[in-house]
Amino acid sequence: MKKQTKNTASNVHVVDFTKQRNKKTKKTETTETFESLSNKLESQINEIEKDLKYSIEELENDVNNLYKKNSKQNLNKEFKKEFSEFSKVLENRIKKTIATLNDQAKSKTNKEELKFIKNLTSQLVNILSFDFYNNVVSKFDKESLEKQEVDEFGMDASLIQKVKPVFDFLYYKYWRVETTGINNIPNEGRSLLVGNHSGTVPYDGSMLACAIANEHPVRKDARFLVEDFVFHMPILGSFINRTGGIRACQENAERLLSSDHLVIVFPEGVKGIGKYYNQRYKLQRFGRGGFIKLCIKTKSPLIPVGIVGAEEIHPIIFKSNILAKSIGVPYLPITPTFPFLGLLGVLPLPTKWSIHFGKPLSFDKHTKSSLDDELMIHKLSEKVREDIQDILVDLLKKRKSVWMG
Amino acid sequence: MSRKKAKQPKSIVIVGVQGFKAHNLLKHFEKNPKYKKVIAIDSKKPNITLKKTKYYKLDLTEPSADVSLAEILKKENCDTLIHTALPTTPPKNESKSHEFIAIGTYYIFNACSAAAVRKVVMVSTSDIYGAFPSNPNYLTEKMPTRGHLQSRFLSDKSDAEKQALKYQKKHPDRIVTILRPCTVLGPSINSYKTRYFQRPFVITMLGFDPLLQFVHEDDVIEAMIKFIDEDHAGIYNLAGDGVLPLSRVIELCGKLNVKLTQIGFKSMVQLLWLLDLSPAPSSHVNFLRYLCIADNYKMKKDIGFTPKHTTKEALLSFVGAERLRHINLAKTVNK
Repeated sequence: MKKQTKNTASNVHVVDFTKQRNKKTKKTETTETFESLSNKLESQINEIEKDLKYSIEELENDVNNLYKKNSKQNLNKEFKKEFSEFSKVLENRIKKTIATLNDQAKSKTNKEELKFIKNLTSQLVNILSFDFYNNVVSKFDKESLEKQEVDEFGMDASLIQKVKPVFDFLYYKYWRVETTGINNIPNEGRSLLVGNHSGTVPYDGSMLACAIANEHPVRKDARFLVEDFVFHMPILGSFINRTGGIRACQENAERLLSSDHLVIVFPEGVKGIGKYYNQRYKLQRFGRGGFIKLCIKTKSPLIPVGIVGAEEIHPIIFKSNILAKSIGVPYLPITPTFPFLGLLGVLPLPTKWSIHFGKPLSFDKHTKSSLDDELMIHKLSEKVREDIQDILVDLLKKRKSVWMG
Repeated sequence: MSRKKAKQPKSIVIVGVQGFKAHNLLKHFEKNPKYKKVIAIDSKKPNITLKKTKYYKLDLTEPSADVSLAEILKKENCDTLIHTALPTTPPKNESKSHEFIAIGTYYIFNACSAAAVRKVVMVSTSDIYGAFPSNPNYLTEKMPTRGHLQSRFLSDKSDAEKQALKYQKKHPDRIVTILRPCTVLGPSINSYKTRYFQRPFVITMLGFDPLLQFVHEDDVIEAMIKFIDEDHAGIYNLAGDGVLPLSRVIELCGKLNVKLTQIGFKSMVQLLWLLDLSPAPSSHVNFLRYLCIADNYKMKKDIGFTPKHTTKEALLSFVGAERLRHINLAKTVNK
């Protein structure tokens, strides 16, 4: 048998090989033998098909049994084993039949016979090819092949499901987030959420997305825009991208809004998260009003958001710029706990958070021609800043204690 | 941008017949009787039997190539020129590839100017946008190409594109089409990117997992035929819908993902490149790190052409053929 399989490898292109022979020899075989041969071959192929069907059914049963018996984690491993064995058997079977077909092709010289054999081999090759792999075999390899892929911006829903418990712990137990005004987010359509940025390590973006996913009855699809420098960093950059973060730039935001997403923006940027403790809850400059231009361009409402409690998780006393530059981070903070307590200092402090979503502002009055009016855009962005500052002041008035709320 | 249907081209000239694009296009022309006059120009003969296609031998790196090319174009009354003499794989000898890509294109456009060729279709690559952390997720045709900052191979390619645009500016009545396909995958293609996924283990950078996008080889050929049959001037991105992270691509290929730290990564890749073990030089390392995804919206909207295969389907057809190749049931025909 070993010799036969070796032969198949070299005689894949049966046609070229046999064409030359045809020229030399004459038609000697009678049609009777041809018929018997074709019947034989057809029965062989039918057998293979039957076997295939049978083994596929068997595999299906096995998989169903596995589902009943095992937990999900074990299932993957066992299934993979089963599947690889199955595909090996299948491949070997088809290889063998192709070998026998090739042998017969060598001994026969009739043109029609050769054509017939060629057709059969091409059928077999098709069985092994892409379509078969895609349609039949992949039916059983659902776990790995039909797993939900990332969306067009790189969000991986299955990873989010895995990570969600950690963020839920932070949301419900650690920072005990209290969310108000969630009904201001419309059930349908695009809107831009603008919030105050704080907390040295930007947990506030993920908590905001978490608040929407946990509290809002319909919307689960909030995406947040992230500063550039994150994507220079290994691990963190790809992790944030897989969990729904996108690089903050005009093109990305426009694309997201025009496909009716909820988009979270922090116009303060790095200035907001990297401010000193004595400047807490004082909003920094709001960029160059890019978010206002975005709202006017895409005709989306703007929802101001205030977040209280995030300022105190890592109070910055001092910033080191020289060290930061060498690592590629915009700033390296020194807090009461970091770096004096080592790794323990990386833990954020368990303050009590509250998030408030304000009333949506609409910019429908402004047309695209007003995009060039920088003065007016600056005015509008200052107005939004004041709105958010008002929300913060209201929330801070109600707060009795940093830790207990 | 003129959208009206062109008259059937008088004669079509293909420059560069070794690649898979020219190979498949020639096959299409041979089959289809509506293309009456087809001319193939290259230094080597194409490896398919030609019945109606006329073949001229011409080496584009020779100093007098532009004069002799212009003569051929005038003699055959050339109407449409397809420029596929751009290698898709970064070659070892960079100065030779510069001669071939940049200077060869220069000669071709000189000859086109002299022979008054009405339409030029050129195939570039979407890699010339370059992979940068500051890239937006989807790169449109209007955005500047920055690939030349990273790699000499890509800088030669963008040089070739610049010459095409210069030609268009000089002759506004003529049509210049530049097609920018992303990574092409399929059952028969062979390029440095397929070789990267063919290894038993694939080297990636620890902590970086960029999104990738692919287009099926049939879609590239179909798009090119569309550009030959109809008149569309301008630059067009060509990419399948959807994106896949690099780690997932390797998982679907069934290969081992070997993650190495970024410290010393570049020099190691360069060493492997010199030893003939790496498919690309170290200047292409950023494509393993950052985003470079082309937006195919313009192609869909302006021409109404949507690739039939998505990114994942293109990859799976490549993987399926790879399985067949493994047991010697299929072979790569094209380069």
